[in-house]
Amino acid sequence: MDPAFLNELERSIRPGGVLRDPTELITYESDALTHLRAVPGVVVIPQSAAEVQAVVRLCHRAAVPFVARGHGTGLSGGALPSPDGVLVVLSRLTRILAVDIANMRVTVEPGVTNLAITHRVAPFGCYYAPDPSSQVVCSIGGNIAENSGGAHCLKYGFTVHHVLAVDVVLPDGELVRLGGTTLDPPGLDLLGVLVGSEGTLGIVTQATLGLLRRPEAVLTLLAGFDSIDAAGGAVSEIIASGIVPAAVEMMDRLTIEAAEAAVHPGFPDANAVLIVELDGPRVEVDELFSTVETVCRRAGAATLEVARDNAARERIWKGRKAAFAAMGRVTPSYYVQDGVVPRTRLPEVLARIRALEAREGLRIGNVFHAGDGNLHPLICYDESIPGQADQAAQVAAEILTYCIEAGGTITGEHGVGADKKANMPKLFSPDDLDAMHLVRCAFDPAGICNPGKIFPTPRLCGEVPGPYRRHPLEQAGLAERF
Amino acid sequence: MADSEVVLEPPDASALASMLQTANANGQTVLPRGSGTKLMWGPVSTPIDAVLSTRRLATPIDHRPGDLTATIPAGATLAAVNELLGRGGQWLPLDPQVSSEATIGGIVAFNDSGPRRHRHGTPRDLIIGVEMALADGRAAKAGGRVVKNVAGYDLSRLLCGSLGSLAVITSATFKLAPLPPASRTVVTATTNVETLTDLALAIAAAPLAPSALEMEGPPYRLAIRYETTETAAERQAHATCAICDRFNVGTETCDAEREDQLWLTLGSRMQNTGGTLVKMSVLPTLVGETLRTIEHLAAKVEVEYVTIGRVALGVLFVRLGSKPQAHSDIVISLRRDVEAKGGSLVVLHGADALKRQVGTWGNVGSSLPLMRAVKARFDPAGTLSPGRGPGGI
Repeated sequence: MDPAFLNELERSIRPGGVLRDPTELITYESDALTHLRAVPGVVVIPQSAAEVQAVVRLCHRAAVPFVARGHGTGLSGGALPSPDGVLVVLSRLTRILAVDIANMRVTVEPGVTNLAITHRVAPFGCYYAPDPSSQVVCSIGGNIAENSGGAHCLKYGFTVHHVLAVDVVLPDGELVRLGGTTLDPPGLDLLGVLVGSEGTLGIVTQATLGLLRRPEAVLTLLAGFDSIDAAGGAVSEIIASGIVPAAVEMMDRLTIEAAEAAVHPGFPDANAVLIVELDGPRVEVDELFSTVETVCRRAGAATLEVARDNAARERIWKGRKAAFAAMGRVTPSYYVQDGVVPRTRLPEVLARIRALEAREGLRIGNVFHAGDGNLHPLICYDESIPGQADQAAQVAAEILTYCIEAGGTITGEHGVGADKKANMPKLFSPDDLDAMHLVRCAFDPAGICNPGKIFPTPRLCGEVPGPYRRHPLEQAGLAERF
Repeated sequence: MADSEVVLEPPDASALASMLQTANANGQTVLPRGSGTKLMWGPVSTPIDAVLSTRRLATPIDHRPGDLTATIPAGATLAAVNELLGRGGQWLPLDPQVSSEATIGGIVAFNDSGPRRHRHGTPRDLIIGVEMALADGRAAKAGGRVVKNVAGYDLSRLLCGSLGSLAVITSATFKLAPLPPASRTVVTATTNVETLTDLALAIAAAPLAPSALEMEGPPYRLAIRYETTETAAERQAHATCAICDRFNVGTETCDAEREDQLWLTLGSRMQNTGGTLVKMSVLPTLVGETLRTIEHLAAKVEVEYVTIGRVALGVLFVRLGSKPQAHSDIVISLRRDVEAKGGSLVVLHGADALKRQVGTWGNVGSSLPLMRAVKARFDPAGTLSPGRGPGGI
């Protein structure tokens, strides 16, 4: 990197905020998708919004690409650095700036972890709803970039449903506010398109989030089935009876065994388990829950445990949330995929995955958000065996085509990032991608903000698709373009 | 109504895109229209070359009950949609009140909603996919048919509330809700502003799950709706009455026809019967103060008015009635007050002179240049709905 540029970076933020030593840089070469790695040109760790802005301004002036990173828990390589660029690490912006319980809002810096927000407001009986399994460590800035969900998104939605406003440093260094402290701010919903844009439109330096009150009652059951199909049948019946649970999770034998070995949640010895949780007013939950129990038994549940107290409920969820990490006990390496299919097509897609498993000789565990069709196949492999890592990646890609063929999508939560760019043209036509590109060019005409993510083909923003047409007023010299 | 002689009524999305392409190529301006129920909202209308109607894009409605989703063409009315979805025991849980003729496209373009926003949210909260015709006539889509989807930019949400300025929505896909088996509404006796807002906040903080928490006045009262199982609706209504008792506010619990009639009456305040209609958004804790401010401003000049809204969300609508010449000053003062406290006030309906004097949108904030940049990328020739949005967007 240009030494003059590096010196300017060092002058723009406080001492210790710029890492140039190659051994330090390597620590940041990947996020949690470890098979994609790139050493950044330099790492900066700002401690304030002003420092973030200063860094981005420098990058813009020097036409140097930059990538933002939270706590590095991403699973699609969204924080994979540009090798010739700046990695802006937000992990020191960790202040909770304002808590307004009466209006059910908090304002936080992007490095605050998801769970820290809930902990802060728990004494008031409130919580922050989106609960990705990594919530102990993942950052709210990262959640905003990926539009993170979590097990309870079936009922409570995703990050986009709970962000009211952000301050964002645009790729030219301008700081703007999107959204508002109050609902329905006038104008275009740019906040709605920023959430989930995977860090390609700017860097969020502050976010105002909405809180919910803890429901009066929560009831959780853990049911063991002889087959995934039987468990899936139970889920269909629950939906058909007009119940929308707060969460419906399913795990297969391989992931049950892994979770059991890792955190001993006391899962039954079954080929599939279903975790169903209802929450809300007690009078409603009690009534609907007994319907859910009946449905599970009728669907052939071999075992059924209702969590008696909070400790039991937490034990069950610990088993579910540990599933990914626990896979390390049953396999040297694994590749997590993140596809979605319409719920009604799950049985067919799962059957195809089982056939794929047999054909490839690689075990595939399944954990999924059964309520909304979001599957996380865990493809087991051994890195020390030549070619197996690539084979696992190919298997992951093949599973994605099953999802697309079933009318689903290539990512429900983890994002496209660098990992799934090549699949975007299977979902979207060139015109669809062009339409999205219009947004990218409005925010980042210079193409320096997390370039190389989401879209398969780099495009220059000067191009205006189709023949250029001057408006008659323009022609008459009466109006100008912005 | 828009100032135009020409109304284009394409039979399907492809023809719509084609007509749009022609208009764009000829440097013409186009206003997309569903049923036209909200055309008089927003800024003073400017002359346009053609209205592009989605009236004939009304079928098919693709309902997938097992997935709790539906894909709906833009010209279908919400009433027709819910009639069909209802046969499958589900519905699109939106209840905008302006007109039963409102189309899905128009509802999305305005991000319109009603009392059930309290529980179910707005179109922005429910939309999972969209198909559109871009200004130059190319067809594009975003999102998909599944409830969880983070592939690509969320253009579905960008189009919500975009007032037809970025693209013409040709279909939208939504996450649905099961039709609730039973309903009860508790309506309170009238009371003063302070008691009304304290009571509303107490109900919102209670372990209850109303589908609507609505206020209207003066004279001020609340209507709280529960839509769930018979037992849960009955018990929660009962618990609500107990809270109201603590505040010495009388209640009546209704269901069936009486309940339907109540909500129709409340909704009628939103229908375009003249006067000046504004929408305000304030912090929930400032609703009481805001209502007092309106009271004070209106009393000073003896202007009649009515307010309704989602009291726990801070979303309020005010219709000023008599003495139209006094409305501008009221709106200007009200907007100043609301904006000073971080809120917004938008003029939906009113005399042209008032709209010109007061401005429709108020202070849009630091992202206006970015909004213009997005508009310029999507519609460089300014074909679509010119001047409908803030800053001339």
